[in-house]
Amino acid sequence: MLELKSATLRYGDLTALDSIDLSITPGEQICLIGPSGCGKTSLLGLMNHRLTATSGQVLFDDRDLADLSPGALRPIRSTIAWIPQTLGLVENLRVHQNVACGRAAQKGFWGLLRSLGWMSRKEKEKIFHLLKEVGIEEKIFTRVDQLSGGQQQRVAIARALYQQPSIILADEPVSSVDPKRARDLIALLTTLAHREKQTLVASLHDVGLAKKYFKRIIGLRAGRVVMDGRPEELDLDSLYQSA
Amino acid sequence: MRKRWFFVVGAMLLLAGLWILEADPGKLIPGAGGRAVARDFLGSALRPAFDFEDEGMRESGASFASKLIRVTGLTIGYAMVAISLALVIGLVGGVLGSRSWWTRPSFARRILRASVRLLATALRSVHELMWALLFLSAVGTSPLAIVLAIALPFGGTLAKVFSELLDEQDQSTAEVIRATGGGGLAGLVAGVIPRALPDLSTYFLYRLECAIRSSAVMGFVGIPTIGYEITTAFQDGHYREIWTYLYLLWGVVIFLEWWGARIRKSLGKGVAAKAVRGPIDLASLWRARGTSRFLRGSLLLLLGAVMLGWTMTDRWDSGVRWQQRMAHLERFTDEIVPYPVREADGDWARFPSWLSEKLSTEGYEAISRTFHLATVAALLAGTLALGGIRFAARSLASPEHQSSHTWISKGTGMLLRGGAMVARAMPEFILAFLLLGVFGPTVWPLILALAIHNGGILLRLGSEVIDNLPEGSRAVIHAQGGRKSALVLASLLPESFNRLVLFLFYRWESCMREATVLGMLGILSLGSLISDARALFYYDEILLWVALGAVLVFVGDLTSDWVRSRLRGKAF
Repeated sequence: MLELKSATLRYGDLTALDSIDLSITPGEQICLIGPSGCGKTSLLGLMNHRLTATSGQVLFDDRDLADLSPGALRPIRSTIAWIPQTLGLVENLRVHQNVACGRAAQKGFWGLLRSLGWMSRKEKEKIFHLLKEVGIEEKIFTRVDQLSGGQQQRVAIARALYQQPSIILADEPVSSVDPKRARDLIALLTTLAHREKQTLVASLHDVGLAKKYFKRIIGLRAGRVVMDGRPEELDLDSLYQSA
Repeated sequence: MRKRWFFVVGAMLLLAGLWILEADPGKLIPGAGGRAVARDFLGSALRPAFDFEDEGMRESGASFASKLIRVTGLTIGYAMVAISLALVIGLVGGVLGSRSWWTRPSFARRILRASVRLLATALRSVHELMWALLFLSAVGTSPLAIVLAIALPFGGTLAKVFSELLDEQDQSTAEVIRATGGGGLAGLVAGVIPRALPDLSTYFLYRLECAIRSSAVMGFVGIPTIGYEITTAFQDGHYREIWTYLYLLWGVVIFLEWWGARIRKSLGKGVAAKAVRGPIDLASLWRARGTSRFLRGSLLLLLGAVMLGWTMTDRWDSGVRWQQRMAHLERFTDEIVPYPVREADGDWARFPSWLSEKLSTEGYEAISRTFHLATVAALLAGTLALGGIRFAARSLASPEHQSSHTWISKGTGMLLRGGAMVARAMPEFILAFLLLGVFGPTVWPLILALAIHNGGILLRLGSEVIDNLPEGSRAVIHAQGGRKSALVLASLLPESFNRLVLFLFYRWESCMREATVLGMLGILSLGSLISDARALFYYDEILLWVALGAVLVFVGDLTSDWVRSRLRGKAF
């Protein structure tokens, strides 16, 4: 259960997020939409505590993330997967090595080193299976820089799933692929997250995709939540009209 | 306007330097004896020795080939052992001196990073020959001392460059790992180091190349590497043997340069997977994955060479007894205390007057000469390179820039590139030693040696900059009917000005390091004061001059870092 209580984020004079109140229940699939610069990325940043709220609270199972020590924050973070807009893949490593990074927290330094250099057969099989679900199992040993943009996005999704998180935060996960592929990827992400009973919070700029695949949509504008509800209840087009 | 000032200040520094160094251009024409040496020496270039030149040695039945193998093996072996130690220092120091493993900034981490960087700069401020003299004075001769003398400054340099490379990398994967509960070291090992690997390994191989040159130069303090054989052969007038050693040294260094470039290329692009035959399963995909035999072979070769280096001698301590070494060390630690302080039973009140006397009688002059030697040489190297770039840059030799003198400029380009390669492969110290034999004891051999070696490096770096520039301005000037020299002057130089100046400062910094030791060949500067003090066993003075040299290099490093970081911020 993730909750934001009048969470505000300021950079100097600029208010990126203004008094956000939100409550996300386990298993929900939520889409954040809004014009660029409206605060989608910042909001996702608050949710895994990469950014700290200037005022207000971000609660995970009723614990304020800002009050936790780095040691106490780690186990919580290990249950929250994050797919950044830039994907954050290492281009000159192979797919299986990148996917293995999803479980960095559980493996620790030495375990991760071993996975990078001499991955066990068992782990390779696990990753192979996972890659089958995202549809690129034949690329398991290919270097990431030899993959297409869509394939790279699938690797990032596989890395997030490998973490076995309870929440997945995805920042514009389909920003750099064509509409057909974007649809396939969002369908994949929502289906897998639903099956694993994972909470999914994704930001998108394509209203059509948001309407089609998500049950709850949160509209942001200038750092404020201006709408929150089922897609059929919302006048989404008004979000992009100039105020 | 700023560019013009740069040239004016450069020219003034050059002239002032030549005046202070008393570098009389008339002395650039060697005397009759020097001309004869040069003629004989150059005449032997095409006839390297395949056997001893000395009759007695030939008749004794000793094998020249096995001597060549032994000497080259020792030179490479010491370099391998030294670089393996330096790599450990470099990796630990590189990580601790970088920000890339931090989960969040903290005061303690900032202090740690700053102190490690300071220590790394301090280690590399003392030239390896100076470390060698210090170690030899402290514990007596041993291969271990030589290896450590190379490993310490090289470790410092690796640490400095590694930490910069790690900090420059895209940190996005490390950020994902940290945001999902992973530790800082996990982020470093999975997110940062793999990305930096091509740069890290290229730079490491470049340092290995430098270590081989340094190992050869260690011959000048009595270790039987290539430098030692070159000095003795020169004294005996066996010029053909010198050429054999030089060709071997150049061969090894040029091979390493080629090898490094290839490794970088392989790491950069990776190897495509083979097609999978039959059903697609994990095992068949694993078999079909792209692997580079070249990279694996290279790693094995490197590991093998390091192991061979470590095992080539079981007498790292030269068989000198431990007690003897400790006695030696005790004497050294007693005597590095300045003489008047020692006389007065450790009363340090006498230190300032001793220091100021040493500085005013010899110190200031030596420091000034060392500084000007480095500056004059770097400026000359820059001038040489600037003159050569027009011919050496491959992109200027492309068909659309051809003139009626195509074959002349092509030939000049090839000659220049080849010459620059040899100049880079030749250690400054050995070059200065040979030039002293021709020009006699003036400062010119030192200036020329530094200028030639660094000119070779700058010519290559400069040509690469020109070759990597976008086509735009080249094409415009050419379409307007401009000549090649107009092209270089009007378009290419201004466009890459900052980058070329950046390289000049980078080489100036290393000229400064080298200038502190070249004086050991007997030309007044810090190096000559060190060898004089060493001959008299004045350990306090040795330490003083080494420390002054280190301060000079340290200040040079900081200046160059500052200028370069400012230049980097500007558009190229």
